[in-house]
Amino acid sequence: MFEALRTVVVGTFQRFGERALAFLPNVLAMLILILAGWAIAAIIRSLLGRALRALRFDRWCEEMGITQVLRRAEIRHAPSHLLTRALFWLVLLVFLVVGLHSLEIALVNRALAAIFGYIPRILAAVLILLGGFLLANFLARAVLLAAVNAHLASARLLAGGVRVLIVAIALAMALEQLALAAHIVIAAFSIFFGGVTLALAIAFGLAGRDLARDVLRRQFAPQREEAPDELSHL
Amino acid sequence: MSPEEQRSHAAEVEQTLREIGRADLVVGIPSYNNARTIGHVVRAVMAGLAKYFSDQAAVIVNSDGGSKDGTPEVVRQAALGDYRTVLATHPLRPIHRLTTPYHGVPGKGSALRLVFEIAVRLQARACAVVDADLRSITPEWMDLLLSPILREGFDFVAPLYRRHKYDGTITNSIVYPLTRALYGKRVRQPIGGDFGFSGRLAAHYLAQDVWHTDVARFGIDIWMTTTAITGGFRICQAFLGAKIHDAKDPGVDLSGMLMQVVGSVLDLMESNYPIWSKVQGSEPVPVFGLEYEVGLEPIRVNVARMLGIFRLGAEELGDLWQKILSPATFRAVQHIAGSPDADFRFPPDVWVSVIYDFALAFHRRVIHRDHLLQALVPLYLGRTASFVLETPESTADEVEAVIEELCLQFERQKPDLVARWEGQG
Repeated sequence: MFEALRTVVVGTFQRFGERALAFLPNVLAMLILILAGWAIAAIIRSLLGRALRALRFDRWCEEMGITQVLRRAEIRHAPSHLLTRALFWLVLLVFLVVGLHSLEIALVNRALAAIFGYIPRILAAVLILLGGFLLANFLARAVLLAAVNAHLASARLLAGGVRVLIVAIALAMALEQLALAAHIVIAAFSIFFGGVTLALAIAFGLAGRDLARDVLRRQFAPQREEAPDELSHL
Repeated sequence: MSPEEQRSHAAEVEQTLREIGRADLVVGIPSYNNARTIGHVVRAVMAGLAKYFSDQAAVIVNSDGGSKDGTPEVVRQAALGDYRTVLATHPLRPIHRLTTPYHGVPGKGSALRLVFEIAVRLQARACAVVDADLRSITPEWMDLLLSPILREGFDFVAPLYRRHKYDGTITNSIVYPLTRALYGKRVRQPIGGDFGFSGRLAAHYLAQDVWHTDVARFGIDIWMTTTAITGGFRICQAFLGAKIHDAKDPGVDLSGMLMQVVGSVLDLMESNYPIWSKVQGSEPVPVFGLEYEVGLEPIRVNVARMLGIFRLGAEELGDLWQKILSPATFRAVQHIAGSPDADFRFPPDVWVSVIYDFALAFHRRVIHRDHLLQALVPLYLGRTASFVLETPESTADEVEAVIEELCLQFERQKPDLVARWEGQG
């Protein structure tokens, strides 16, 4: 009886030891992959940093209004710093995933497959957001300039409205791309804009009757009263 | 016009050109919805050609941008009637007339490209182009624009007009002083619109690859003048008297005009840097024709609106101007914006700094170029308002002296521009 029990226990430990020994190379491979990934990610970060400095990427971001958007979000780092960091972590993440895959654990593999399947969506969402921010800033500036040159006192308000609208659309598209409660996003988006429009209509029509009258008078009356320029600029 | 009609029309024009064969003179009239005035312009051109060049083969080319008001029909029907009522002599050779639509980017530049093509095709010795909205054109304009080429060997004749002191403010405050300082030639109306040029220069124009840029639109006038100067062609001016044209198209806004004209000037600065960076000072350009005073109708100017746009710009576009202007110029502009209407002045030195800073920002692509040029509009209106406030009672000569002083300021500050262009400042 005791001998049988001893055989079972020792056998179990032996099998565990054998399996652990068989599994050890996988763990070592994972560690090597992660270390290699860290080194490669660091090299890429350094090379990309130099390339972005040579291309004056931070100045371009400043011109395109990306830096201002980051500042508004209380992000004080330079865009080149953020991009190099993001790429560093992305490369490291890829090696981490490959390393975990080398463990050959079914559960982990399924989870990794799901993560890998989701990465394109994340990238697409990031691109949509980036494009949205760029477009929003470009069009907001165009609207601001056109409104100032047309002598519209509410130039900044118009430009701000255009920026908010485009960023909101980009945000909704990005969230939809991430498949995060798509129906809720669309519903929230519709409610938000419907609410804003309704609020503006009510504010303008009821609470701001006097203001509305003044704005309309300023907008239209001077055009009838003011004599147009006869100046030929060319 | 359908593609089928276009092909048929092109074949018709080709047939006409083949029949004409060669011509000594080609006069181009670009048009777009100018039915009200083009009849007078065509008659004046015909009378001028018959009176001064009766022994020369001449062709009038109306290059139309697809007018909807019957402009081509007016051109076809325009006639002098009985020559004896207009001229002492009857023309010895018939004056051919062609009216044809042009292709490419809609605008005056594309229309003139077609005129250059026809001039080269017909081996013309001298050409002239006149605007279709002119009310003040006389037959003498043909003599003044074509004779310096045919008889004196010049290649380019720029117009010289008597204009109201507040007429042509982009010319007076930007284009003339800047072109003069850059290229060293005092061409008073570099974007006048009515020019004479030799067949040799027409071929040179045609060979340039610019027909998809702003040159194809409002930029054509400054491009023609600058290309003639930088190409080493012999240039002169002809005094044409008053320039009175039809009421401007309300659809053509100031921003668009300024963008196309100033954009073309700044574009030309890019390609001509090796030439203009070496030029110092400026020299007069010969003038043909007897200069005389003309009566000009008063012009209504809304200074309050100009000041309003300038101050709104200072309030809302500060971030943008800060990127474009040097710190000292930006501070000066903000100080000007804060001054009361009664004391409002935009000094010439600050204005020149503004223009040179914008030229540098354009060169360095600090922001999108369309946005950059739009950001200049409020500053331009501020300077124009100051000019009007400075010269309410001034005579034409006194105003000319103010413009001359501005030109000298552009020339004085040019070395600084050259140094900064090369990255030294």
